[in-house]
Amino acid sequence: MKLIALSLKGLRRDLRAADVRALFVALALAVAATTMIGFFLDRLDRGLTRQAGQLLGGDLVLEQGRAFDDELRQELRRAGLELSDQVDLVSMVSQGDAFQPAGLKVVDDHYPLYGKVRVDRGSGVEGVDHGPAPGSAWIAPRLAQLLDAGIGDRVQVGALSLTITGLIDREPDQQAGFAGLTPRIMLNIQDLEATELVRPGSRIEYELLAAGPPAAIDGLAARLEALRDAGVEIRDVRVDRPSLGRSLDRAQKYLSLAGLAAVLLAGVAVAMATRRYVDRHLDTAALLRCFGASQRQLGQLFAWQLAWLGVVAAAVGALLGLAGQAVLLALLTRFLPLELPPPGGMPWLMGVLTALAVLVGFAGPTLLRLKRVSALKVLRRELDPIPAAGWLVVAFASLVFGALLWLYSGDPVLALGILLGGLVALVVLWGVGQAMLQLLLAVLARLPQGGQKGRAWQLGGRQLARRRTASLGQLLAFSVTFAAMAIIALVRGDLLTTWQAQLPVDTPNYFAINIQPQERAGVETLIEDAADSASGLYPMVRGRLTAIDGEPPAQRVPEESRNDGALRRDLNLTWRAALPEGNRITEGRWFDTDVASGDGTVPISVEEELAGRLGLSLGDEMTFTIGSDSITGRITSLRHLDWESFQPNFFIIFPPGALEGFGHSYITSFHLPDGGNQMLGEMVQRYPGVSVLNVEALLEQVRGILGQVTRAIEFVLGFVLLAGVSVLYAALTASRPARAHEGALLRVFGAGNRTLSRMQLAEFALLGLVSGLLGAALAEAAALGIYGWLGLVPRMHWLMWGIMPLLGAALVGGVGFLLSRGARRQAPMASLRLLGET
Amino acid sequence: MSHSSDHERKRILHASQLAKRVTSGERELVILESLTLDVDCGESVAIVGSSGAGKSTLLGLLAGLDAPSSGELQMFGQSLSDLDEDGRAALRAGRVGFVFQNFQLLPTLTALENVMLPLELSPRQDVAAKSRQWLERVGLGERLDHLPKQLSGGEQQRVAVARAFVADPDLVFADEPTGNLDEATGSRIIDLLFDLNRESGTTLILVTHDMALATRCDRCLRLEGGALTAIERRRGVEA
Ligand SMILES: Nc1ncnc2c1ncn2[C@@H]1O[C@H](COP(=O)(O)OP(=O)(O)OP(=O)(O)O)[C@@H](O)[C@H]1O
Ligand SMILES: [Mg+2]
Repeated sequence: MKLIALSLKGLRRDLRAADVRALFVALALAVAATTMIGFFLDRLDRGLTRQAGQLLGGDLVLEQGRAFDDELRQELRRAGLELSDQVDLVSMVSQGDAFQPAGLKVVDDHYPLYGKVRVDRGSGVEGVDHGPAPGSAWIAPRLAQLLDAGIGDRVQVGALSLTITGLIDREPDQQAGFAGLTPRIMLNIQDLEATELVRPGSRIEYELLAAGPPAAIDGLAARLEALRDAGVEIRDVRVDRPSLGRSLDRAQKYLSLAGLAAVLLAGVAVAMATRRYVDRHLDTAALLRCFGASQRQLGQLFAWQLAWLGVVAAAVGALLGLAGQAVLLALLTRFLPLELPPPGGMPWLMGVLTALAVLVGFAGPTLLRLKRVSALKVLRRELDPIPAAGWLVVAFASLVFGALLWLYSGDPVLALGILLGGLVALVVLWGVGQAMLQLLLAVLARLPQGGQKGRAWQLGGRQLARRRTASLGQLLAFSVTFAAMAIIALVRGDLLTTWQAQLPVDTPNYFAINIQPQERAGVETLIEDAADSASGLYPMVRGRLTAIDGEPPAQRVPEESRNDGALRRDLNLTWRAALPEGNRITEGRWFDTDVASGDGTVPISVEEELAGRLGLSLGDEMTFTIGSDSITGRITSLRHLDWESFQPNFFIIFPPGALEGFGHSYITSFHLPDGGNQMLGEMVQRYPGVSVLNVEALLEQVRGILGQVTRAIEFVLGFVLLAGVSVLYAALTASRPARAHEGALLRVFGAGNRTLSRMQLAEFALLGLVSGLLGAALAEAAALGIYGWLGLVPRMHWLMWGIMPLLGAALVGGVGFLLSRGARRQAPMASLRLLGET
Repeated sequence: MSHSSDHERKRILHASQLAKRVTSGERELVILESLTLDVDCGESVAIVGSSGAGKSTLLGLLAGLDAPSSGELQMFGQSLSDLDEDGRAALRAGRVGFVFQNFQLLPTLTALENVMLPLELSPRQDVAAKSRQWLERVGLGERLDHLPKQLSGGEQQRVAVARAFVADPDLVFADEPTGNLDEATGSRIIDLLFDLNRESGTTLILVTHDMALATRCDRCLRLEGGALTAIERRRGVEA
């Protein structure tokens, strides 16, 4: 108890010290950063998940070929999920003499679980949160056009006649799947039986859509697994975010990366400030030892002191985070079309936990030094306990940071990888830094004695190189800081360009499918005339995978893939001489000659993810059943393709000459500029069999999300930069007394203000320059790994190598110069009186 | 003493009506009051006084390391009150050496680097050699690469002495230069000081409690009640 009181008293006296302030600022910033980024990520994540859930129709979607039983429904409800039943099937609908195939979407009263259906019920498009009432149907405008029907008309669906009461503008759960390519008609589930379409043998998909908290879904993991084994297809919004998956995944990874960078930087700042704190308290510690304090008491005393500091800093940081998050919200709601859920409690907890971890991890080992101080030190200065070995401090901090990485990423392998990579980088950096300081000394010694200006630079450089340990520590800290800042900035840039390149303005907004070979030329001219970009026509043959290396696929593929959709549905096959644009060969070779189908095996190219899922590798043979025939191909290449490109994409590509004999149609995608829509009417009229699918809405949605995420990224980037500046501040204030001491002495020896200023500027600028250079190297190395992780193409950033040293020199030079301005103004006697006793 | 007649007598330091007052909190503390002192070139002056009398403060003022609250001060014929901080530094450069009571060595520099520092401020070629030579003269030729905290108090003091003399100054202020030394080492340092005083006419202004040192000076002054009074030179003088 007495110790606690003593620690509080000590802390109060200490509040004037720069290092305690720096420590405080760094800790508060760490908490503010983590809570703020945590909140943001959490809310964004939940908001985006909800949006994705909207696209999917629910957080969890179960699908099978027969109706779900009530027992399962009850079980899901008990787990806390809200349910909605939906039935999908394709059937002919008619109005008068006009018959059209249509995609039936049969919904219950809970539909939609998320979002609103945008529908025109005669008084303009409005958003409603229900489907059509029994006895009525809502249809897509295109179907209305094809049937020549409108609101109030009746439409025949199977045995039932329904009144058209609405034209669907957009369904919240619109998907770009090819199952939904036929124009939509939506009806109430109470009418389903009366249509008499549900008969044995008809192809019907029953879907059970569920909405609820992730925990509820996680609680059902075992049950879902069993269902999967029983042949139920299950989509979890967190795993199967339709269409947006890759970009979102990257963005989230980026954001958590940035959050961690902010924590790392705050940690480095804490480490720097702690060093100074400990240096300053060594004498106190030794004196207390003289007075009879035990090691344990000493350790507890200072631990309590820092703990108090941590608690207050965490409180202030949390308040800052709260304020910042309010500001952020005010800023972002202007841009966000997305409705974010209210803040959760988790980020608070994580923020405070992170702060404590940072305090223990980055300050702990250094603090231990105070405990080990010997009473004799009061008499003999050299008895300063050896500074906690650099490697120990780094190792311990890395360990804690690694644990944080693990906690945040949930991926121990990744955490370990980053950690080991980081440690190797640090060791290399340490060596290189030492060598560079040596080199600096050598170069300076050899340099001719210049004029006053050159002399100041020489002196500054020399002081820097001579202050070995301290300079090396700062060099390392700044390099890591600059590297972290650079990576976050670099990745942001490359992420944005990747996204922009991925969805250029003329990204196709329409797909046309089911183009018959004889219609090909006509459709092509129509598109060419109206569209400002087109993918070209791809032939498409639908075939089912029936054997791999002669065995039934279900026996060949890895266990978890037995129910893979690719085994249960027809796959789209195509043939093509050249590798499609945007595809990349990852293994094997693209077939360079046409096959003469001689021995029956044909080279084929398979999409890499499918191959991975099905356990396929080069040389494996795949047999497809097409109608009553079959064809076998041998895998000669694996391809990477971009599913978000809005281009026709194919899992399996054959060379020309193998599939032409099978029944096929063509598919294409193209971009129609605004007002190019009358071409669609012409197309429908002239080629009624061709289905045109509008993906504009989906495209807009993808673009919208990317836009939001971009802003989030920029905001987070700003925060990382702020954390970087806090490192500068902590390190430079920590070294300020030493520099002030030196400055005062040089004054005594007759150095003028000009010389001193120049010298200090030179020292800071050199420090910044070298740190910038090392930081660039570190960033480049780290980017290699991170880009792979984010699925970006790695590249050299030459510009960065040029900019970083200059920026580093300017930043460290500027901040350092300003911070040491006060000391330069003081009379030397006053400075020395203040500093003499350290 | 007698050797001083070899040099042309010239005033190197002149102080009149010098006062230093500091305020700490509400109270004003008068450390020095209407103090007068004249020092000639090549002279050696010892200042004694009880602890807290203001000796270190006076030394700092005389060297221009601090500004007096009032009064007039001239060094090398230049009025210090006409000069700003920078001007005073320029006046000191290469001509004034200072030994601090608490040494004031830079903890991150080796003994040699500490001694080199004053020389490096002006363009010179022989910086390292000269510094090494001076460390040898104070008996630390073997300890060149040691950091201050690896040296004993007396050794640190000797480094500080070497640093004060390395630039061949005209005027050296020393605050208790032998305060931490044993008799033998102390007398070696004292010999060194006076050799220099004799050979190059370096003016010495020393604060000391060491009678052996005080008695070898041309003059001995006592600081008391903020002012200096001359002490009559006879054996058994109390410091
Ligand atoms: N800047 C200052 N602020 C407050 N008090 C000061 C300041 N400078 C000097 N003093 C006080 O003035 C008095 C004289 O200090 P000084 O260091 O000159 O004494 P000294 O004669 O050198 O003593 P010692 O023999 O113990 O070294 C002391 O009481 C000191 O506390
Ligand atoms: Mg004193």
